[in-house]
Amino acid sequence: MFLANGRAGVIDLSSGEVSEQGLEEGLLLGRQSSLEVAERLASEHGSDSLVLGTGILTGSLVPAACAGVFRGPNGRAPLLGHAGVELKLTGFDFIVIKGAAPEPGYIWIRDGIIEFVPAPALKGMDSWGRTDKVRDQQGDRKIQVLSAGPWGDARSPIAQFVTNYWGGEDKAGLGAEFGRKNLVAVAFRGMGEFEVSDAGVHFESCARLRDEHISRLGRGEGLASFSKAAAREDFRSLVHRDSACFGCPYPCRSFVKVDEDPKVMALASKEPGYLHYDIVALEKAHSLGLSAREATQLMTKCARAGVEPCSLMSSGPREGFEGLLASPKEVTPASKDLLDSAWGSAISDRRMNEVCLGLGLCPRYWAKATFDLGSFGPCVESALGRGLRTDW
Amino acid sequence: MNRDSVLTPMTSSIILHVEDKADYFGLVLKTRSEGMVMARPEGVTSGQQPSGSGGPGAKPILLREQCDLCDGEPKCVRICPTKCIKAVD
Repeated sequence: MFLANGRAGVIDLSSGEVSEQGLEEGLLLGRQSSLEVAERLASEHGSDSLVLGTGILTGSLVPAACAGVFRGPNGRAPLLGHAGVELKLTGFDFIVIKGAAPEPGYIWIRDGIIEFVPAPALKGMDSWGRTDKVRDQQGDRKIQVLSAGPWGDARSPIAQFVTNYWGGEDKAGLGAEFGRKNLVAVAFRGMGEFEVSDAGVHFESCARLRDEHISRLGRGEGLASFSKAAAREDFRSLVHRDSACFGCPYPCRSFVKVDEDPKVMALASKEPGYLHYDIVALEKAHSLGLSAREATQLMTKCARAGVEPCSLMSSGPREGFEGLLASPKEVTPASKDLLDSAWGSAISDRRMNEVCLGLGLCPRYWAKATFDLGSFGPCVESALGRGLRTDW
Repeated sequence: MNRDSVLTPMTSSIILHVEDKADYFGLVLKTRSEGMVMARPEGVTSGQQPSGSGGPGAKPILLREQCDLCDGEPKCVRICPTKCIKAVD
């Protein structure tokens, strides 16, 4: 099987039992593959199961093949950055999380191994502290850590899971699922490798496609290429560097600093900074009159606490945000329309979003590059040794 | 391409490194002619063994093969999504 492990890992937190199940190639190559398989696994193991998954192209050299998916009972969120690829390189295409743990702890996945690590001391910590702690405990700074901070512990309906330190991907309240399962984090590290059918052709066809995209898209400007909110002068003045997910030639994230000179890049830098990705939250902050600096400071606090920032900002006057952040409360999520627009105004085709995500491709990038299965057919066939189903 | 984890298996001679917080990055290349070459925003150093377990001198570099420039056409240069790697004489 090319570009896939052919298996899912299953952990039952209630019993502590860990098992594996095989995944047929035909299933993985199916329409909207990762979304379909995630739903199928959830229906098999219980609708309250959490499923982390990857698309058949995740981790390939197809441009922006970075995406994984996190499926919960009430919705799903993409896994971007390097999380999707790292997950696939753990040796599992999917992870199913069932039940609830008897004590707080985190799931640790690597090298085809899944285990639950009791960690009561991490409960109550913010997401940044949890990421640092898990990485320290396991001795690797490159471990990917999903966590939702104290708002996830409190099962708040506006809790948001954060990938390592940065938020923006979870607009479905999946952070609360961590609290329901007594999970302080899910951590994984991918050290595996994949075979492709014809490595030389895959390499060249993907490089050519990427070059064609770059020549057509021109020079990217980070988040400003996707939202006017990031093109404002006060935002630009804070930008340290634009940052891309795995295999993406057109970055949509901008890293900013609010206390240090953002033009300086040195190991001695102390300010953590913030990686902006969340367009709707930034636009919401600006609509409330927050400057780019104030918006960044608020979104940083939200990421640490595990709060979805749009919902927090929709809950009342801006003077009350600090008070709300201090302790998790029952706050109603922002409107579904607002949260559903999380990919940004550049993307209006929901079906294309789902097809991209299901294949393991970033919908935000492919909306810019124009999604056309025919354009990357050679990339796919050289990787998989066959084409994808085309009945979609 | 901004991490060392996913495009650089143990058989590769190149490691990319990024500190998530503070957005700091660096690159280590194990070469035949100059030993270890470390490139980072502060400048380029070569011929020395980087140290530290969490930075760009992480231990796996010792196990990797020396770069042979892919027989004259380095694939890392060709595939780098953001064109941040260049081959120079």
